[in-house]
Amino acid sequence: MKEPTIVGFLCNWCSYEGADRAGDARLEYPANIRTVRVMCSGRVEPEFVLHAFREGASGVLILGCHPGDCHYKMGNYKARRRISLLKKTLEQLGIEPERVRLDWVAAGEGERFAKVANEMADTIKGLGPLELS
Amino acid sequence: MAERIGVYVCKCGPNIGDKVDVDAIVDDVKGIEGVATAKSHNLLCSADGLEFLKSEIEGEKLTRVVVAACTPKMYEQKLMRACEEAGLNPFLMQMTNIREQCAWVTPDKALATRKARSLVMAAINRAPLLEPIERKEIEVQADVLVVGGGVAGLEACLSLAQKGRKVYLVEKSPCIGGLAARFEEVYPTMECAPCMIAPELQEVLQKENIEVFTHSEVEETLGSFGNFSVKIRRKARYVSEEACIGCGACFEPCPVEVSNEYDEGLSKRKAIYVPFAGALPNVPVIDKDNCKRFKGEECRACEQACPFGAISFDDKDEVIERKVGAIILATGATLLDPKALPQYGYGKLDNVVTALQLERLNASNGPTGGKVLLKNGKEPKSIAFVFCVGRKEKEYCSGICCMYSIKLAHIMREKLPDAKLYCFYSDICVPKKEHQQWYDRVVDQGVEFIRSNGTVAVTADKGKLAVKHGTDSSGKTVSVDMVVLAPAVEPSSDIEKLAGILDTSRDDHGFFCEEHALMKPFATALEGVFAVGSCQGPKDIGDAVAQAGAAAGRVLSRLVPGEKLALEPMVAVVDEDLCSGCKTCILLCPYSAITRDKEKGTSVVDEALCRGCGTCVAACPSGAITAKQFTREQILAEIKGVAK
Ligand code: FES
Repeated sequence: MKEPTIVGFLCNWCSYEGADRAGDARLEYPANIRTVRVMCSGRVEPEFVLHAFREGASGVLILGCHPGDCHYKMGNYKARRRISLLKKTLEQLGIEPERVRLDWVAAGEGERFAKVANEMADTIKGLGPLELS
Repeated sequence: MAERIGVYVCKCGPNIGDKVDVDAIVDDVKGIEGVATAKSHNLLCSADGLEFLKSEIEGEKLTRVVVAACTPKMYEQKLMRACEEAGLNPFLMQMTNIREQCAWVTPDKALATRKARSLVMAAINRAPLLEPIERKEIEVQADVLVVGGGVAGLEACLSLAQKGRKVYLVEKSPCIGGLAARFEEVYPTMECAPCMIAPELQEVLQKENIEVFTHSEVEETLGSFGNFSVKIRRKARYVSEEACIGCGACFEPCPVEVSNEYDEGLSKRKAIYVPFAGALPNVPVIDKDNCKRFKGEECRACEQACPFGAISFDDKDEVIERKVGAIILATGATLLDPKALPQYGYGKLDNVVTALQLERLNASNGPTGGKVLLKNGKEPKSIAFVFCVGRKEKEYCSGICCMYSIKLAHIMREKLPDAKLYCFYSDICVPKKEHQQWYDRVVDQGVEFIRSNGTVAVTADKGKLAVKHGTDSSGKTVSVDMVVLAPAVEPSSDIEKLAGILDTSRDDHGFFCEEHALMKPFATALEGVFAVGSCQGPKDIGDAVAQAGAAAGRVLSRLVPGEKLALEPMVAVVDEDLCSGCKTCILLCPYSAITRDKEKGTSVVDEALCRGCGTCVAACPSGAITAKQFTREQILAEIKGVAK
């Protein structure tokens, strides 16, 4: 059976590199995690998340630099506010807020990337595919 | 015109080739609308591969290219250059990462192939939406801002000015020269410090291409290496630098007396004053916080006394804007206030002084004209120097306190030949080629060194001071007339504000953080921003000057007049027709790159300042801002591909 997909938005400077380090170290994580590069987690619009759900994703990961480390100073803080707001809206729409996860992965943190990816895959497996009416 | 997309999937030898069924993907995408051709290649990043790509672009008349290969962090630039050489705007290539983020993390070949296919599909979806971007360049600003007019700042100014660079020196106090200008003698040469730096001060003040702003502060900096714009607040001096000849006629009549910070509180000064005799520029300043007139009283004493009409109470702060390419921070350091360590009795007991206070007592332009005197006006018959004050609390060795204390002990030995001198130390740190001899010398001169390992406590003792040292049971006491503390060196108080303005980081001790402790000890992590001298860590004069020279050299070699600077191509653009003028973006931009066009009432992005983070794009409620190369449509198209 085809597993439900998870779209991961990765900031160019930290998390995308972190994902590359996971690859260098040949760390495994499920193939249903699909990544999209953005310059900063602050670029991620709530619309991107909703669009991913509409297009068939069952989970969305947004990964940025650790607080205080954003390449553009504050983008990840902006993302944090935006995503927490989005989660509340999702709840009202009947979508489990756990389907969206915002987290931090630094450029050197390959292991952390793989861990977050695996955890997210487990969470989504637990929740099952997202059925949009 | 329909796009002609060429899709190229790289096998990266076995790296992708063995893990992903590349040929199956190539076959799958061939029929997709817009795809003119799809091929695999064994190693696209090789010279062969790049040639292949170029000939494909030309031969197939491609308008878009999709490359599925390794992470774009490796060869995206190289591939973009190949596109450019083949006549295709490099921003019309879309890469997708099927190695690090697919082949290498997915052992199951069928799953890896499925994932790679979806990534390639996403890139194909995105490709037609790509737009050409022209790279822009601006000419570098070769002028330099130096902050802090101590020995390090002076050296930086002169090295740069010698090569014809325009330098702006901003100094917060009313005079330049820093701490060294207030010392009588400096180690290891034991020469007269004011005499040593006076020629430098004169040169800095007179050189045409150095503009000196005393009594001034940096208020804002925008931009990046080669292209900073800085705002300098020149605080009102209330005395015209042009009209004043420095005669000093204004001091006498001023009715106000306050503690003189330039004499470490050992003397009084007027509300109109020069910091110390010989301070340059020799132009007084009115201390607005203490002047009667600024407190609402009708006093014009100084104005009436000035024979040259140089005083103007209407003077206003001025904010001056300058463009520079690099910034050298040389804001120096200060000494820890020993009041924080009550065991030394500083601030409570008479005749417990800091080393800086003794420097002023010893200085011929100081409060006593160079006589070392106790509070009662008599010469001390015994002095105890206490080293390492605050070292334990600060958790670092300041490195210069042993040597300046030894210097002061030596000077006291000559000045007060009969006085008994003690040095209470923990470890003696005299690491340079000229320093050890001074230690040997003062020992020869009868200065007694007592290892107290930070146990010193000072109390009052019948008009004298009791210096107790050692642990309680075996503690001994020495009775002296004066105690001189050598407190730890710490960054000056304005460093926090400055770090905030420049967005440079500071280390655990509060000093500016260097880019690399060994290879780049004079640079900060921000390109084009340097930190030299004691603002980067405690330093003696020689080391501060050396670091300043290194930074100046780096500026001269890296920031060449006439050279071009490439601007970030992937900036944000505002669509005037959609912008509602709500200013959300202006508040969010971390680089103050967005301003409001007053006439149109809309936002405008300054391309020289924008770094393309996209925060404003995501926040714009009208959807009026586009991030080049990361537009909403492009990202949505990519999502559509990967989500399936
Ligand atoms: S660049 Fe990584 S979160 Fe902003």
